[in-house]
Amino acid sequence: MTAKRWLWASYAVALILLLVLPHAIGVMTRELIGRIFILAVFGMSYDILRGYTGIINLGHAAFFGGGTYIAGIMFTRLGTSASASLLAVALAWAFAVILALVMGQFAFRNTGAGGVLACAMITLAFGEIVRHTAETFRQFTQGADGLTFAVPVIFRDRIGMYYYALLFLVVMTLLLRQFINSPAGRVLQAIRDNEQRARFLGYDVRKYKLLALVTAALAASSAGFMFALLTRFANTDLLSVQNTLNALLFTIVGGTGTLYGAIVGTAFVQLVQSYLLELRGIHEIFARWQIFFGAIYVLVVLYMPLGMVGAFLRIKGSLAYWRTSGGNHTRAGD
Amino acid sequence: MSNALIETQNLTINFGGHRAVDDLSLSIEQNTFTAIIGPNGAGKTTFFNLLSGLLQPTSGRILFKGADITGLSPMQRVALGIGRSFQLTNVFPTLTVHENVRLVLQSRERVGCRPLTSYRRFPELIAEAEQILADVLLLGKGHLPAARLSHGEQRKLEMAMVLAMRPQLLLLDEPTAGMALEEVPVMLELLTHAKARGESTIVLIEHKMDLVTKLSDRVLVLVNGALLTEGTPAEVAKNPDVLKAYLGGGIRREATA
Repeated sequence: MTAKRWLWASYAVALILLLVLPHAIGVMTRELIGRIFILAVFGMSYDILRGYTGIINLGHAAFFGGGTYIAGIMFTRLGTSASASLLAVALAWAFAVILALVMGQFAFRNTGAGGVLACAMITLAFGEIVRHTAETFRQFTQGADGLTFAVPVIFRDRIGMYYYALLFLVVMTLLLRQFINSPAGRVLQAIRDNEQRARFLGYDVRKYKLLALVTAALAASSAGFMFALLTRFANTDLLSVQNTLNALLFTIVGGTGTLYGAIVGTAFVQLVQSYLLELRGIHEIFARWQIFFGAIYVLVVLYMPLGMVGAFLRIKGSLAYWRTSGGNHTRAGD
Repeated sequence: MSNALIETQNLTINFGGHRAVDDLSLSIEQNTFTAIIGPNGAGKTTFFNLLSGLLQPTSGRILFKGADITGLSPMQRVALGIGRSFQLTNVFPTLTVHENVRLVLQSRERVGCRPLTSYRRFPELIAEAEQILADVLLLGKGHLPAARLSHGEQRKLEMAMVLAMRPQLLLLDEPTAGMALEEVPVMLELLTHAKARGESTIVLIEHKMDLVTKLSDRVLVLVNGALLTEGTPAEVAKNPDVLKAYLGGGIRREATA
C-alpha cells in the first residue's frame, strides 16, 4: 500500500503547487495554464470517443465551439445575470445532447467494415454544417469577425478564473474517470476491441456508441463554455476541423485510451506552441509553429504510438509483470 | 415437433452463384447434444451464421421455440438465449482475460449502463469470472491482455465466454480448431461438464470424430449445404454414404488423447 500512499502524496503536492502557482507567475503564463486546464477536458472528451470507443469524430469541434458560441450569444443578448448564465449553461448542454443524438443517428448506422470511414465522413459533414451556420447568421455571431462579449462578474477576476478552470478540470477528470470505469465504459472498450463480438455478447452497440457520443459532447460543450468565460471571445475557428484535429493531437501526443494522456498531451502541445511563438523574435520561421507540429505529430505516431502516458503505463505494466504475477484483474490503463 | 428448441424451414443462402446452404429443414430437440459433421465447405459454419443472425438467409425461416426469429439481429437472438462461439478466435484482445469473461456476465445479468457507478460495485461478477477462469485453467492468466494468450488458451477463453452466457441454445463452432492435441482433453471435459449440467441444448461443429462419438446424442451430416443423413454416432459411422462423402473431403480421424 505504500505505492498508493506515494501516489496520493504526489497528487496532493501537485494540487498545492497548482493552487499556489497563479501567484508566482506572470499574467501570460497564468492565461496559458488556465487555457490548458480547459482544453484538456476537450482532449479527454475526444479520448472517450477515439481512445475508448474507437469512433473517429471529425465534427467534435462543433460541441466545443457550440458551447463557446452559446455562452457568447446569451451573454450578448440577455446580459450576464445569474439567471441568464444558468440558462446559457442549460442551452449549451441541450445543444450538445441534441446534436450528439442526431449526429449519432446517422453516423452509427453503418455497422459493416466501412463503418469507421462512414462515421468519420458523416461527423465531418455535421461539423461543417454547424461551422457554416455560425458563419452565416452574422446578426448573432458576427460571422468571421468573431464575437466579443462580457462575462458574468464572478468570472472577471483573472486569478479567480484560473481556479475555476482548475476546479473544472479536476471535476471533469473525476467524472470521466468514473464513466470509463462504469459498466457502460467497460462495454465501450469492448466495442473498440471487437465490435462484432460485443454484439454477440448481447450488447446494443449502437446504443452504447450514442451514450459515448452524448457523454463526450457534454464534456466538450462544457469545456467550450468555460473557454468562453476565459477568453470572452468566440470565432468560427473553434468550430473548424482544425480544432477537432487539435483535440486529436492532444490525445495522440499524450496517449489514446488513457484519459490522463489528454491532459499531458494538451499541456505539452500548448506549452511548446507558446514557446515556439516566443522564438519568432530569433527567426521568423518560429511564427509558423504548425510546421514543427506536423513534425512532432509524425515522430510521435512513428516512434511513440502509445503517446507519453501510454508509454509510461506500458513500462510500469512490464515492471509490475516482472515483479509479481498476482491476481490483478484490472487493465493496465486503469 | 412441439419439443423442438430451434427449427429451420427450407433454409437457403446464396453467395452469388454458390448455394452454401441448400433448402435445409431440420429441428433440434430441447436438451440434446447434436453434432454437425461434414467435409470442409459443406456449409456448417454458414449454417451457424444463419442461426446466430450474422447472415440473413436468401429464403426460408428459422423458428426458435416456435417463434419466427429470421429477421432478428444477433443481439436480439442473444437476448432470447442463443449463444455461439467462433471458429476463428474472437475475443477482446487488449482487455484482460478476466475482463473478457466479466463482460459476458455483465451482459447476462443485465447490469445496464450505470454510467456513474464503478464496475467494481458488482463484486459477484468479478468473483464468478474468476471461478469460470479457474474452471478452464486460466486463473493465473486473468490479468493478462487476451492477445498475450497462446492460441490454445484463447480457444479455452472463447469457450469460457460462451459457457458463461448460459444460453438455452449453445452453438459451438469447432472449439478444438487449431488446438494442440494435449489440450483437447480439457476441452472434452468442458463440453462433458456443460452437457451434464443440462442447462443448454448444444449444437457442436467438430471434425474430431472421437469427440463427436463421446458426446453426441445425434449426428447430422452436411454435404454441399444439404443434409446427407442423420442418426446416432454409431449409425452415422457405419453409413456408406458418409464415408463416400468424406473421401477426398478430408476426414480427420485425429486421436484426442
